[in-house]
Amino acid sequence: MSRGTLSRLIMFLLIACVISVIAPQNSVAEEIKEYTPNVSPEEYEKRYNKAFGEFTKKMAEEGNPADMLLDEGKELFHKVDGTQGRSCASCHGQNGEKLKGAATTYPKYDPGLKGIKTFAMQINICREKHMGAKPLKYDSPEQLALEIYTKSLSNGMPINVSIDGPARPFYEAGKKFYYTRMGQWNFSCALCHIKYAGHMLRVNLLSVNRNHADHWPSYRLEWAGTGSLQKRIQGCVKNMRAKTSELHSEEYRNVELYLTHQSNGLPIQVPGLRM
Amino acid sequence: MAEVGKIRIKLPQSIKKGEVIPVRALIIHPMETGLRKDKDGKPIPAYYINDVKVYYGDELITSMEWTIAVSADPFMTFYVKADKAAPLKIVYKDNKGGIFEESVQINPQ
Repeated sequence: MSRGTLSRLIMFLLIACVISVIAPQNSVAEEIKEYTPNVSPEEYEKRYNKAFGEFTKKMAEEGNPADMLLDEGKELFHKVDGTQGRSCASCHGQNGEKLKGAATTYPKYDPGLKGIKTFAMQINICREKHMGAKPLKYDSPEQLALEIYTKSLSNGMPINVSIDGPARPFYEAGKKFYYTRMGQWNFSCALCHIKYAGHMLRVNLLSVNRNHADHWPSYRLEWAGTGSLQKRIQGCVKNMRAKTSELHSEEYRNVELYLTHQSNGLPIQVPGLRM
Repeated sequence: MAEVGKIRIKLPQSIKKGEVIPVRALIIHPMETGLRKDKDGKPIPAYYINDVKVYYGDELITSMEWTIAVSADPFMTFYVKADKAAPLKIVYKDNKGGIFEESVQINPQ
């Protein structure tokens, strides 16, 4: 074997090594390896009832503290605010007649934002554009009251979120966030809520992600207060000991789109009550 | 959360005379135990409901002593024999001297 062919052989082997090291990493980064769900939603329901009974359901019907905010939201809806002398009811009709079913298609793509628009953002956009009023701070009692009332007008109607067309890349980004391992504990959302859903994590039963987006804003016993899905996502990320973003930041909006799409076809039940 | 002291009392939709009916009552209250500390390490003062009285007409029908063990936004259910048309009044008192009350009319048919 001559020196030329040997060096060529070594070069080839080196390049082959480099390619074999780089290539699988690239394919992992591009493709999401989906988990198969551990339990069906029906099986999860059974386990939940066995572990905790039906007290949250009963409480949601009989004594949900978020119902107080619902009444406040109705007042706010009819209250005139801002420079243009209008209330929500001046455009959307008394008792929000024209808003029935409006919440079913949110979150959705908005060309102005070049991103996903959540229902809470739409309320603030309406207030600024059409009422000349100040936008409400996210997850403040007033904002939650208004959101609960306007969303509750669509109660019982099936969620119908579109992920076609311009919303597609944001849906993919949300899904990627859902599957990305992060934080000190190296968890991903999907790990708990798809792969290990239905297992006990200390005293908590890991929930199936099918019913995650149909009842927000909800009263949570753990918070002893009412909050939005955005706050819940932020709390989840914090529990993974990862760095949190602000409410309604781009990545959380994308996850909200992904999660709401998982609940497509389920009726909206606002306000909810959860542990 | 909604302001402290808001009360909602729920009765069944139709009430027959002499029937035993469930009464559900909810009040918004932080029910702070006094054992927690804030971010600076200072203790958060206790703030909780310690006395609940229920009147049916002029009659005191039940009273409760609550402690720090009761959760925030307490929700309770109790049963009343609806034998007269009278207001049902619930009075909550907390350890800081706040008094919250709400009444509903019971009209048995």
